[in-house]
Amino acid sequence: MSAKKGLYGTWMAVLGFAVLIGLYTTYKLFADGHVLFNTNDVILWSLPLGVYIYLALASSGLTILAALPLVFGIRKYEPFAKRLVFLAIATLCGAFVSIGLELGNIFNMIYIMLSPNFSSPIWWMGAIYSVELVVLVVKFALMHKGDWHSGFSKFLATASFILALVAPLMIGSVFGITESRVTYFGPVMSIYCLLMAFMSGTALFLFYSMVVNKLTENGVPVEMYDEFALIFTYATAVVVGFTLLKFAIESATVIPEFLVYHQFEHAFGSIRGLHTEVLLGLFLPFVLLLIPSVRASAGGKIIASLLILIGTLFMHMEILLAGQSHPVGPKAEQYPEFIKYFPSIWEFLVFSFALTIMLILYTLGERYLKLTEVPE
Amino acid sequence: MSRYAMVIDLQRCVGCGSCSISCRNENNVPEGIYWSNKITETVGTFPDVRYHYIPTLCNHCEYAPCVRGCPTKAMHKLDNGITMHDPKKCIGCKYCEFNCPYGVIYFNWQEPHQFWRNQKALFQGGSSSPRDEVKKVGAEKTPYFNPERGATLAANRPKGVVEKCTFCDHRVQKNLLPRCVEACPANARVFGDIEDPKSDVSKLLGKFRPFRLREQIGTNPHVFYIRGYNPAQYRPTKGGV
Repeated sequence: MSAKKGLYGTWMAVLGFAVLIGLYTTYKLFADGHVLFNTNDVILWSLPLGVYIYLALASSGLTILAALPLVFGIRKYEPFAKRLVFLAIATLCGAFVSIGLELGNIFNMIYIMLSPNFSSPIWWMGAIYSVELVVLVVKFALMHKGDWHSGFSKFLATASFILALVAPLMIGSVFGITESRVTYFGPVMSIYCLLMAFMSGTALFLFYSMVVNKLTENGVPVEMYDEFALIFTYATAVVVGFTLLKFAIESATVIPEFLVYHQFEHAFGSIRGLHTEVLLGLFLPFVLLLIPSVRASAGGKIIASLLILIGTLFMHMEILLAGQSHPVGPKAEQYPEFIKYFPSIWEFLVFSFALTIMLILYTLGERYLKLTEVPE
Repeated sequence: MSRYAMVIDLQRCVGCGSCSISCRNENNVPEGIYWSNKITETVGTFPDVRYHYIPTLCNHCEYAPCVRGCPTKAMHKLDNGITMHDPKKCIGCKYCEFNCPYGVIYFNWQEPHQFWRNQKALFQGGSSSPRDEVKKVGAEKTPYFNPERGATLAANRPKGVVEKCTFCDHRVQKNLLPRCVEACPANARVFGDIEDPKSDVSKLLGKFRPFRLREQIGTNPHVFYIRGYNPAQYRPTKGGV
């Protein structure tokens, strides 16, 4: 018991130190500006934005997963509902930290409300995620008080589910309606983001639950996670199918922008022409999940979900960077034909700050908020 | 209401860069940022080689992707068709820059005019520091600061927001031509109201077959290009097999 207490104390001390570093990073970004990032007027959106997309989508995935017991009434999943809602809130908070530090002038965010532009997908994305956060917090507070099934509580569950479905579509449309970058264009990005959201949310929940299960005795039967592992396998199968379809469409086209894109799309290397991160972060865990014994074991679940979690971040970064790596119009006069990107220390620190906030919330929530509670 | 447009005559343009330099002075444009720019291209192999030069600026598109995508309407259209930016509303999300098909929007990654903030003199006791020079002339940020720019837009934009060409709306408001048009020694830039059939821009667009950059994406740019400088001659030929 005292060893566990010591571990908890050390863990909180590490997180506290990480918060201090995060606050210093925030101060530096406000004082010096985003020149601290390894960005320029070609690679505009970098790691902090990739992290935002990654965490925001994972949060949506967790909310969609929470809808199984809360909206669709599958009661056997109720022991996971509170934790799912809490993880969705904490993950979304991490996402907001990342995007907050990515924005050039966060104080002008007030104009999102004072001067809204309803034709902007960024406005919709911001508005939907903000409302989703409020809805999730209120829903969680009601669940914490024991109100799971009142009309208002059910309404909030349904509202959060709908918001979690729409939000990834809006993230996709931020890219999908970009005229200047044909390689993002179209509805494919929205569908892709929604599928990635569900897959990464399920992966995050499975990974987190397995780790917490190892560290604590939370009373949830381990076999229950087998069903989540199956849901996770189905989600991964759909993303694998969609990714193959996306590759097929992209490789068949002769639109000049796509031909240029093919030259630059392998930011993280390739194995026999296939993206490394897709092979190791999507196809490999999918194959592992297809093996029943691996899927049933705790180790198998942890490895598969961890690979997906890492792979998903790299896949988001790959798409983000490949579409930006060559200059548009006259910017080709100032910049080379192809721009390589590696994050600066400050970008890594923003990433770390977002994760820290998320992990602090996870830790405190797990300790004080009875996340495996079920309705009476 | 007027709808402003610019015609750039590529036969008259000599590629001197006067438009870009005058633009920088007029609009206090910081280093690394280009409101007025160019696309150059060299085609062929020597001796059959040719150099193309296309001056660029904000196209003040009718259906501007930057305006549509801006979450706070910081990027907006004026009644006269000018695409304008309000740094006071800009959250620095850079979506306009990401979304601009013409690569004419830039972000202030740091406090602008860094060079002129330097307090170190090149020769201690012998020359003044860049910051001292700015102080001496009583200017803001740079010695060549133009306060008139501040009439419709922050004269110097702060870090964390984007900026781009405004067709010199502060001059147009006073019935003056954009600075780049006025400064062009070859009269290659013609500015005016495209809604007025008697304006010079309307007449030129009727006389020559103009083209616009990336017309196919449907943004309806309001910078038009006519003609092209080409002194090359070739002997009449039908080619061969």
